[in-house]
Amino acid sequence: MSRTMGGQLLPLELIDRCIGSRIWIILKGDKEFVGTLQGFDDYVNMVLEDVTEFEVNPDGGYRETKLDQILLNGNNICMLVPGGEGPVAQGGGQ
Amino acid sequence: MAAIGPSKRSPTEFLSQVTGRPVVVKLNTGVDYKGVLACLDGYMNIAMEQTEEYVNGQLKNKYGDAFIRGNNVLYISTLGAKKR
Amino acid sequence: MAGKGGTNVDEPLDLLRLSLDERIYVKMRGDRELRGKLHAYDQHLNMVLGEVEEVVTVVEYDEDTFEEHVKMTKRNIDMLYVRGDGVILVSPPLRTS
Repeated sequence: MSRTMGGQLLPLELIDRCIGSRIWIILKGDKEFVGTLQGFDDYVNMVLEDVTEFEVNPDGGYRETKLDQILLNGNNICMLVPGGEGPVAQGGGQ
Repeated sequence: MAAIGPSKRSPTEFLSQVTGRPVVVKLNTGVDYKGVLACLDGYMNIAMEQTEEYVNGQLKNKYGDAFIRGNNVLYISTLGAKKR
Repeated sequence: MAGKGGTNVDEPLDLLRLSLDERIYVKMRGDRELRGKLHAYDQHLNMVLGEVEEVVTVVEYDEDTFEEHVKMTKRNIDMLYVRGDGVILVSPPLRTS
């Protein structure tokens, strides 16, 4: 029962369309994640696969951690970028 | 909610799959807890067994059982090994 | 399904239920640690602890010598009410069931 407002895409529908594809997640703090979205719930807790975690270093670079599969708490999520490849591909950091 | 796609794996499904298996729980503070996920609830409160506490990648503590208050949890990750 | 009073851990809070009247370790925000006997708790993790040892860890940085000192302050408190929102981790004694 997906409804749209005046032909517009609702925010959660946009996320739903991202299932199966790469997504870039920017948290409220100094952390970012890139992974393949497997699913999410009403709180936007997210299941991600083949994940890279980016942590901003004091020098402005990123510390990267690879993770198999995670359940990310939706509490700390600030922004989502569908198809995003993460801060390094954007030329951020370094 | 929108329709469920063929490859959709919801948080609930993920949790039922990883319960009883080794996981890493990362807190907002950056501290990692490695151990066997015993169970959890809707607040993401977690009960873990054979828990090891890592601060900056260094083992700092071990707990037989540990209760972690859900508001501190950043993510729950499967620990290497096989997936799918 | 084990009901209230069972020895199974069906939900995380069961770990606390099984630790009632036992000495537990509590890790709090602000580098604060507590060890004490668990008298009572609720769903927020508010707790009443007895015969508590509190350890507060502070890292002091000496700007002259560029050295870090880890300072641990300990004190004993007979009875303590702990507000749940500061709790990070609770570890019960080793279960032998």
